[in-house]
Amino acid sequence: MFRKYVVLLRMKYVEMFAYRLATIVWMTGAMVQPLITMMVWMNIDPHQENAFIFYFAALIFVERMTSAWDVWEMEREIREGTYSYQIVRPFHPIHWAIAENIVYKALFFVILVPVWSILAIFVPALRLGQISGTQWLLFFCALLLGAVIRFLFSYMFGLLGFWITKVTAVYGMFEAVSLFLSGRIAPLSLLPPSVKTLSLYLPFRYMVGFPIEILNGDIRGLDIVFGFGWAVAWSLIFMLAVMLLWKAGLRKNQAVGG
Amino acid sequence: MSIQVEHLYKQFRVHVRQPGWKDAIRSLFKREYRTVEAVQDISFTIPSGEIVGFLGPNGAGKTTTIKMLAGLLYPTAGHVQVAGYVPFEQKPEFKKIISLVMGQKSQLIWDIPPMETFLVNKAIYEIEDRVFRQTLHELVELLELEPLLTKPTRSLSLGQRMKCELAAALLHRPQVLFLDEPTIGLDVHTQEKVRRFIGEYNREHRTTVLLTSHYMGDVTALCDRVLIINHGKLLYDGGLDRLTEKLTPYKLLEVRLASIPDISWEAYGELVEAKEGKVTLRVARERIPEVSSQFLQRFDVRDLNIEDPPMEEVITLAFQEGSHVS
Amino acid sequence: MGNLLSSLFGIGMAILTIKVFFYQTDHLGGWGYADVLLLLGIFNVLQGLIDFALRPNMSRLLQHIRTGTFDHILTKPVDSMFYVSFRHLVFWRLIDVLLGIGLMIYALIEKHYMPSVLDAAMFIVSIGAALVLIYALWMMLMTTSFWVIRIDDLSFVFNSFFETTRFPISMYRSWLRIVLTYVLPAAFITSTPALSLLGKWNGMTTIASIILAGLFLWLSRRFWRYALRSYTSA
Repeated sequence: MFRKYVVLLRMKYVEMFAYRLATIVWMTGAMVQPLITMMVWMNIDPHQENAFIFYFAALIFVERMTSAWDVWEMEREIREGTYSYQIVRPFHPIHWAIAENIVYKALFFVILVPVWSILAIFVPALRLGQISGTQWLLFFCALLLGAVIRFLFSYMFGLLGFWITKVTAVYGMFEAVSLFLSGRIAPLSLLPPSVKTLSLYLPFRYMVGFPIEILNGDIRGLDIVFGFGWAVAWSLIFMLAVMLLWKAGLRKNQAVGG
Repeated sequence: MSIQVEHLYKQFRVHVRQPGWKDAIRSLFKREYRTVEAVQDISFTIPSGEIVGFLGPNGAGKTTTIKMLAGLLYPTAGHVQVAGYVPFEQKPEFKKIISLVMGQKSQLIWDIPPMETFLVNKAIYEIEDRVFRQTLHELVELLELEPLLTKPTRSLSLGQRMKCELAAALLHRPQVLFLDEPTIGLDVHTQEKVRRFIGEYNREHRTTVLLTSHYMGDVTALCDRVLIINHGKLLYDGGLDRLTEKLTPYKLLEVRLASIPDISWEAYGELVEAKEGKVTLRVARERIPEVSSQFLQRFDVRDLNIEDPPMEEVITLAFQEGSHVS
Repeated sequence: MGNLLSSLFGIGMAILTIKVFFYQTDHLGGWGYADVLLLLGIFNVLQGLIDFALRPNMSRLLQHIRTGTFDHILTKPVDSMFYVSFRHLVFWRLIDVLLGIGLMIYALIEKHYMPSVLDAAMFIVSIGAALVLIYALWMMLMTTSFWVIRIDDLSFVFNSFFETTRFPISMYRSWLRIVLTYVLPAAFITSTPALSLLGKWNGMTTIASIILAGLFLWLSRRFWRYALRSYTSA
């Protein structure tokens, strides 16, 4: 299995490299919305400028590290009929998606970390000196969990493409709602209390907001435990959903374009 | 190792889309379904090593049947066994011995050279290095792939892509090869090359090949045996010659004359076409020798040709029959 | 039907976003809640028009260039640039335009402000300039597809820029404000028309918007001609 992953990762790397220009454009484009939102907040509360700069820079990083586009890939493959090839192979198609995610996220990491380090020289708000070792450890665990949750969520919708043709539109709606509940429109502490409470129980916060809150030092102790608990719960729920949907999807497979 | 299909059925429930907006709103609450009988009670057995063609118009059910044999669709009823396995159980051992090629749908990864896809398939199908190299060498030779392997798939022509597609599908030396419209969209030259390759490969390796196609050329060039499917039903299962004889008890007589006389051709046969010096008639098989000699005696014949009716005609008749051709 | 729902959902989310900001404040760059809603309404109208006329043609142009059918377009007697930009229209996107107008009316009611005839006139002038600017910028982006065939969806680049017009220009800091006024004139696209309708128009600004619109249109045509020249010589 390991050997298969090595070959798959290598192939995805070569593919990504062929796409490098488009990838850079997409990555840079994804920064625009968070940056504009940051400027809005800096306008609203100029005293908190540094806090907002840190929050949104961390947001850009975390969002890219957890981003998942599998629903679009799968929708296209099912629509074009090439998904049949994935089913006919003796290798679960989820591995392809996982390999692709690993390669692209490694790329984002390799680009964003040096950029952050350089920016930190000029922008004191981005300095990371006060973050403890435990915080870093917890942050990376939350980040990994966030990437897993977001991936499974996206893959789950990809599988729903066996039943719903415009599944990307439905996913788009969830993504729009997620903007609020994951802390991308505003740090969760600045949201109305009802929304804040709601975000604690839904998966969206754990995709993006939760790791940032750990890094920020906004939450500690029991709250962090509570957060991890829910994050793990949501991962398990989505994992189960993916397994069930896969089995059901195979039975249901109407093979659009048959 | 063979393919056994018994009383195969496949039904699809298709949501009926209503055109008017009132109906569209109603459909939000109560959906109406129509049952499509894509495959109705089809049975056949294919011994290993045979090349069999599935013929039928669009929507006839041939692709649905193939997909059930490959494990892509679940039958509504009936038994299917391919090389000892039940396809829809999706066992990895089963997947390793089959292969699928769909015309115009590529399994090659688009932006990178086909060689990369080959390497991925090698890993997925767990092909040993030595075996892989041998197989690749053989396929590259047979299909003339040498210059194509390092160019990205998107820069290859459709014909070149299809050749690489076939190579990718055969790297793991499958026992059963499913080809769904493999020559669609290809130019005549490449079509011939592909057909020749499949024939040769089948002779060499005794791979069972199931082929669906619109093109008579595919079927006449490759298939000893033909299954005609229309409206989900199996209309004919047997050789092509027998089919031609049964359905078209006539042949086509083509004569080239210096000039076409203005007469009625009924005495000789049914007129198909009389244009630019060429007269084509449908003549009952038994009467061919008689009619031919009459032509040679009575007219200034430049050229005379006797042919079987085109396969299209035979097949169209088979479809129209609507019932079993025995 | 699904289109109506998705348009409603879209504008609903946008309004909620504004509400989240105004949960913590009264004003944004000097603009009040109703002002920002008006801006959003204009944004929605413009976005609807882009999706209605401009966006559908981008991918088709790319396809034409890739498959070589572009030469066929060049032989048409109509001006190639306009032909390419307006060939296909997606009519249901006009729902976004209607919703945007609805939001604009709502915002004006909220503000208890009735635009005067002069306000409306200045608005029409500046929104006209805005449309020309959008068209010119969009065309310049489309023209790059002659060279940059690798990127599947250049419209993503335009979207990223267009997002900046969602908020009042006064919100942006110094150098960014200058860039967004003269280099990529986001200011003239939504902020100027909104100010006009609110009675806060400025004669100089309106004239500047017209001049800038004309300049960008001229630039886009030059660029298009240049691209055609290098395309046909290849």
